[in-house]
Amino acid sequence: MSTAYRHWEIIDRARTGKFMEEDDFLPRHFSPTLKKLIKKYDIKYDPKNPSPTDDAMADRIWQAAWELFREVGYYNTDSHRIIEVTDQEIKEALYMARDQYVMGGGKDATIMKHRSVEDPETPFCIMSPDITVDEKYHQSMCMAYLKEPLLDGICGPILEETFGHLIESGGPTEISGCIQHIQNQKMAARLLGRPDTFMVAVGTAEHDSGQIAVSNDDWGVQKTDARLVGSLTEFKTADTLLNRSLHYAQYGCYTGNLTGAIYGGWCGGSEGTAVTTVAYSLIGLVIHGAAFNQHFPFHLNYCSNTTRELLWAISMAGQALSRNSKLLYTSNGFANAGPMTEMLFRETAVHAMVSTVSGWHLWEMASARNKYRNRATPLEARLGCEVGHAVAQQKMTREQVNEISNKLLATYEDHAADAPMGSEYHECYDVAKALPTVEHMDMFCRVKDEIAQMGIEFPY
Amino acid sequence: MSLENLSKLVEEGEAQEAKVLALKLLEGGSDPLEMIEAMTRTMAHVGDLFAKLEIFLPEIMLSGEALTEVVDALNPYLDSAGGREIKGKVVLGVVKGDLHEIGKNIVKLILETSGFIVKDLGYNVDSLTFIKEAETFGADFIASSSLMTTTMPRQLEIIEILKAKGIRDNYKVVIGGAPTSQMWADKIGADLFCYDAKSAPEQFTAVLADK
Repeated sequence: MSTAYRHWEIIDRARTGKFMEEDDFLPRHFSPTLKKLIKKYDIKYDPKNPSPTDDAMADRIWQAAWELFREVGYYNTDSHRIIEVTDQEIKEALYMARDQYVMGGGKDATIMKHRSVEDPETPFCIMSPDITVDEKYHQSMCMAYLKEPLLDGICGPILEETFGHLIESGGPTEISGCIQHIQNQKMAARLLGRPDTFMVAVGTAEHDSGQIAVSNDDWGVQKTDARLVGSLTEFKTADTLLNRSLHYAQYGCYTGNLTGAIYGGWCGGSEGTAVTTVAYSLIGLVIHGAAFNQHFPFHLNYCSNTTRELLWAISMAGQALSRNSKLLYTSNGFANAGPMTEMLFRETAVHAMVSTVSGWHLWEMASARNKYRNRATPLEARLGCEVGHAVAQQKMTREQVNEISNKLLATYEDHAADAPMGSEYHECYDVAKALPTVEHMDMFCRVKDEIAQMGIEFPY
Repeated sequence: MSLENLSKLVEEGEAQEAKVLALKLLEGGSDPLEMIEAMTRTMAHVGDLFAKLEIFLPEIMLSGEALTEVVDALNPYLDSAGGREIKGKVVLGVVKGDLHEIGKNIVKLILETSGFIVKDLGYNVDSLTFIKEAETFGADFIASSSLMTTTMPRQLEIIEILKAKGIRDNYKVVIGGAPTSQMWADKIGADLFCYDAKSAPEQFTAVLADK
């Protein structure tokens, strides 16, 4: 069982914990503590190696993350109190954590289980555009993702409008949009003959009311599905977020902890991003009773994580979690470039190979800095997941991944700031049939061939 | 003991030491306006380092705090020296329903260290609160940030309330935040889409010049 049974103790601490003004929490508590721990544990970023092999440093990052969580706690912005936990409670939660879960239902169920570094077991593949989409394309895009053979789970596109009304967070349009979102997704799964596919839903809900409105085993988010609870950057929560994790636990679905440590922000550089990401997995487990963690550390300026300073952090965080826990965690790619560009395919491939070899499961792929409506397609996710399967099955080492990653990085990293935004979904997919255009498919095959020639043995 | 030393202390975020040195420089006859100009150049340099992420948010925040200490120390002397140039007054916040404020905080810091007076309303701010605070503050700008697509409509709501109250032209309305764009600014009739923090002072100044 998870630690969800501890919710009431957590909620109590959110009201009675140590008082601190919010303006002081990050600059005077979080950042100085993190800086101190990075120094104490001698954690150093190595720009030459996006897929490093330093096991000892991975273990030190784990220790630093543990201490960061224990020393800093988790701040509730509504009560201005810090939720603190003890070493004993972290140990208990880690002991009780499961190393695998069956996600989805019936014949469509799949198992997500803990992965080791350089694990030959293939990663669990969640596919998601992570972006908003026009209402008229939402159903088609859900279908297009669910047509992907390697998809183990889907997190569908986000609606901005529902029946012509702008969706406003916390208002009635959000509740309606959330219902529309999950029903489009479930209908797509049924029509495609995989009705009980694992879903992480619904991204349209920014407010807790939207999430709670779609908890329904008959027509909505089922207990075999998962929901996400986010954090506020960094190490902060609010009642609207705690409402979610309590509701998910009481409803009985899986909880995923959604966090994105910001490189350049309060956690500083690559070292702090890695430590903070690992600490977030502990927070997800202990505070929210999460079955899995969904991490998307990203660059403050680019909103991406496919450049080397982020890849190093992702790799080290994955290795730290893999070597020291039995937790489950997905690595969410954020690319600079947009759909139907060679750069996006290459960015996705690098993110997937570095993540897979470092013990992560995959969550692919936000494109175009996760900023522009309709700019995401399943084809980049397909490439990422095919790369992930290949890296695992051919038992690639971190050194091998490092070499290929550096070659691919050389093709795009100088263009992180001026990456092409590419095309919108309807420009590179046949919307009616939910299939990629010939031009798009040709580009996919071309980049896949290029990557294969570098040493990736694709399963098909 | 020199302006260069003061600049170094501000850049390194040594607030108390910077304040002490600033007072010593004043006692030694330094011109407070020259000191302010030097500190503005220092913060522009720090801002450039941050824009390239050669330093990170905690460091620039410390520099900003050190600058505040210096400016507070200089303030009593500035009036007699002709006063510090105020480039504009801004009410700034994150719209209702949105709890993400890192971008807003960076913009606040950059504006303040560039000569703007900023009233920070925090996050999850009701649209009418932006307007009431702007009226009370005598603001030139109402600047709102939204990080979520589903909270962006609140930026439109601010403009609609300004129009309903017949005071739309009293303020320059600025929008920003990850999902916002020039297209969204044009659609809702905002005066400025602030696309990044570094260029915010320049963008705000240019918009105000059009008034």
